[in-house]
Amino acid sequence: MELSPPLKPAIFHILLALAEGDKHGYAVMLAVRQLSGGRIPLQTGSFYRHLGKLIDAELVMTGKGRPADDDPRRGAYYRLTPRGRDVLAAEKQRLRDLITGVPMRPSRKESR
Amino acid sequence: MHRDPDWPSRLYRWALRAYPRHVRHQFEAGMLDAFTQDLAQVRPRGPVSLAGFLVVTCVQAIWFGLVERLPKPRPVLLTLRDAFRSLRSARLVSLVAVGSLALGIGANAALFSILNGLVFKPLPVREPSRLALLEPGAWSNPVWEEIRDHHASQTDRVFAWSVERFDLSAHGEMDVVDGIYASGSLFDVLGVPAALGRTLGPRDDMFGGGVDGPVVVLGHDFWQRRFGGALDIVGRTLTIERRPFTIVGVLPRTFFGPDVGRVADVVLPLGAAAFVEQRRAQFRTASTWLNIIMRLRPGESLDSTAEALRAVQPQIRLTTQPPDRSPARHLADPFVLVSAENGRSTLRNRYEQPLTIILAVAGIVLVIACANLANLLLARAAARRAEFSLRLALGASRARIAGHLLFESLLLATAGALLGMLGAAWGSALLVRQISTPTVPVAIDLAMDVRVVGFAILAGLVTALLFGLGPAIGLSRVPPTDMLKSSGRGVVGHQRGVVRNVFLAAQVSLSLVLVVSAGLFLRTLVSLTSVSLGFDPDRLLVAAMNVQRSDVPPERRAELCDRLRAAVVSVPGVSTAAVSYMTPLTMRGWNGPVEVPGRPRLSDRERLAWVNVLSPGWFSTYGIRVVRGRDIADADRRGGERVALVNEAFANRFFGGEDPVGRQVVGGTASDHSHTVIGVVTDVVYRSQRVGVPPTMYVPWAQLDDVFPTFSITVRTAASPTAQLTRAIGDALLREDGAVAFTIRDLKDQHRATLSQERLIAMLSGFFGVLAMLLAALGLYGVTRYTVSRRRAEIGVRLALGATRRMVTQLVLRRVAVPIVGGIAIGVVLSLWASRFVGTLLFGLEPRDPATLIGASAVLLGLGLLSGWLPARRAARIDPVAVLRE
Repeated sequence: MELSPPLKPAIFHILLALAEGDKHGYAVMLAVRQLSGGRIPLQTGSFYRHLGKLIDAELVMTGKGRPADDDPRRGAYYRLTPRGRDVLAAEKQRLRDLITGVPMRPSRKESR
Repeated sequence: MHRDPDWPSRLYRWALRAYPRHVRHQFEAGMLDAFTQDLAQVRPRGPVSLAGFLVVTCVQAIWFGLVERLPKPRPVLLTLRDAFRSLRSARLVSLVAVGSLALGIGANAALFSILNGLVFKPLPVREPSRLALLEPGAWSNPVWEEIRDHHASQTDRVFAWSVERFDLSAHGEMDVVDGIYASGSLFDVLGVPAALGRTLGPRDDMFGGGVDGPVVVLGHDFWQRRFGGALDIVGRTLTIERRPFTIVGVLPRTFFGPDVGRVADVVLPLGAAAFVEQRRAQFRTASTWLNIIMRLRPGESLDSTAEALRAVQPQIRLTTQPPDRSPARHLADPFVLVSAENGRSTLRNRYEQPLTIILAVAGIVLVIACANLANLLLARAAARRAEFSLRLALGASRARIAGHLLFESLLLATAGALLGMLGAAWGSALLVRQISTPTVPVAIDLAMDVRVVGFAILAGLVTALLFGLGPAIGLSRVPPTDMLKSSGRGVVGHQRGVVRNVFLAAQVSLSLVLVVSAGLFLRTLVSLTSVSLGFDPDRLLVAAMNVQRSDVPPERRAELCDRLRAAVVSVPGVSTAAVSYMTPLTMRGWNGPVEVPGRPRLSDRERLAWVNVLSPGWFSTYGIRVVRGRDIADADRRGGERVALVNEAFANRFFGGEDPVGRQVVGGTASDHSHTVIGVVTDVVYRSQRVGVPPTMYVPWAQLDDVFPTFSITVRTAASPTAQLTRAIGDALLREDGAVAFTIRDLKDQHRATLSQERLIAMLSGFFGVLAMLLAALGLYGVTRYTVSRRRAEIGVRLALGATRRMVTQLVLRRVAVPIVGGIAIGVVLSLWASRFVGTLLFGLEPRDPATLIGASAVLLGLGLLSGWLPARRAARIDPVAVLRE
């Protein structure tokens, strides 16, 4: 499955959270909730659904190591793949363009 | 409140079970972690928040979990590749599967495409659903003209036609093709345009030729065959019945005429019938030789239009009342309209039932083949248990594995169906050739259409499901740990054995039904073949004559007959020859009601006697004995006393044992004729063996008022007839009169041809019966052999512990006997029930013929035990030492 811009807000925020560094599942969830200022009330089920898709699309991979002092009950750590970084960068650029309005693409047809 | 403070986690854990195994494996720890952390935050906010949180998380888990379980769409090509690979790895199984499916589906598609062409296909004309055939029976020309001129307004349009055979030869040996006389409105009403030139119109349909003189339209196939599809065909001349006709057009390739089962090679305007003597005579009489089709107006039904026609029926009766017919019988039956969407067909009436029965038979064979395949695949699937447990252990979903198996079946079925369709195209053409005889050529449009293709697709899908579903369901139950266990040790479970036995019993019972029906049809053919004809068909040649174009005037035809007969007798190699109007076994006949003065009047049906008109020497040519009285003599001529011979069946029915010689018989040839019976002859088959010997009277040729232009000269040859002799007879006929037309045939071929339907049914049902039996035997053999191989270890142990080889053989055979005996018992019941459908096709035996039932059961029992005994013997030869060492 291909995931490419424009991304769903939840997906974008998950990638954004992982861009800061490898995180375990719940840490990503928390980061998304905070980054979005609570606008994305990510629940466990939806989060893992998105995560599954990201892994399938090879934007995210399961990280190998985990800190030595980590709680063993926690699940795996996740990490952004190079491809995930590219997609995130592309999406950031797209949003930036939208805001600055530099290359105007006014046509509705095109934006669809 | 709760003893276990962690109950929400347990609830959530329970909800997570909705996820498929591989997802749980991947994410369960993380999900539980996230849940616990969130829970820790929500709990202090009170029970309402907690409840809300739990509902949201658990519902989400269950919902998403179930969604994950749905099979994900997988690229078709990948699935195809997988299925193809696994089929290739079991080449033999796949070949057997594709082969038997091709055979099964092909046979079904072949029969269906014939049935389709004969019964289901609508005429290739404009809006065929609005066409209606005027029934009952056929109509005379006056009736047709009355309807055309005065009552056609009851319908949209109307046309009439008559089925004919035309002689295209210039002289000598006849060159007969099928054709029709069509009223000028036929093409207009049907909406059939010409492929080349023009079709016929009202201005062509005039008594004795239209504005352009005698014209003809050719059938497409005939145009290709005779004229190589010449584009300059329009304007050329074609000799029909010795008269030049101008070709004005060619029909489209798809249109064969209004009759299904025969092709109109030439279409002549109805008015051209005036050129052919017999038809000209019928133009003004009550003779019924025309069929009428109407086009209903939009929105009108068959019933309402028929109603309107019945309203004017008295009027039509009045104006068309022939003087020589009693008013009570003229157009006595009320008009009825039947849908003519699929055209008219006499062939349909004759073959619809046999074809449907054979199609059912072929369907059963396909089911048997499916059961075989299901067993084969079950066995193969069992052998693939390891593969599938491995897949399951590696995380494949059961749905995907089952889907994979079904896809394999579908692939097999598709290959089988495609091959089968190829075979069907060839097979159906072959079958049609089988039912076609020189005198009645049969042509059915076998072109594949939506129905045939749909039928094949449906057959393929149903078979794929039938034989693919069992293994798919069975296999998806395999526990993933199965591969870890070594297979082959221990007693094999009975559970799957039951399914196999049910399949086997079903196969045996169905094949018994088919073997029984094959037996019934074969015995019917045998008893029909052995019906006493009353004469010896060997060394008999029949020259079917047409002297219409001879210069000899009709009133002197009797002499011409005599001269032609004499010419034939003078040919070396000819023993005797005689002239008759009808030839036995040609399915043609002439009958009329008969009365015997002084005897009680019989019912209308019983009064019907069959008539033939003969020259002297006819009986001796056929080898028919005159048991009482005398034969026809040369002295029995016109003007003298009308005489007749009758057969024994006639004597029994009309004279009830009294001596008929010297008595009077009224009727037969014409209602006002009275004949003196001069002799009684032995019984002879008249139209066909099945009809048997009807009461028949024979009258002298020389006493006819009008001598027919068509008759036969039957020749008894000294030795077996050769092509050379046939040619010599033809030459002799032409030397006598160069303008006569004739066809010379061996009566033995005719004899064979009358049984073509019975032979075809016997052949097909025999073929399918044997096929079904072999398939069932193969199934029994395969399954037994498989079971034996699975039980190798067990049998080895038994042998090691002292069981004798005999005991082992019996052990295996006892197992096989169960489905065989059970299957035969069910099969007997099924056969008894199914016998009701074949009753009318049988001859000389009852549908529940015990001998056939017992014989078929014995054959199946023997074959079944043999196919069980072969693997049993193998089992008994197992070397216990070798098995134990494995």
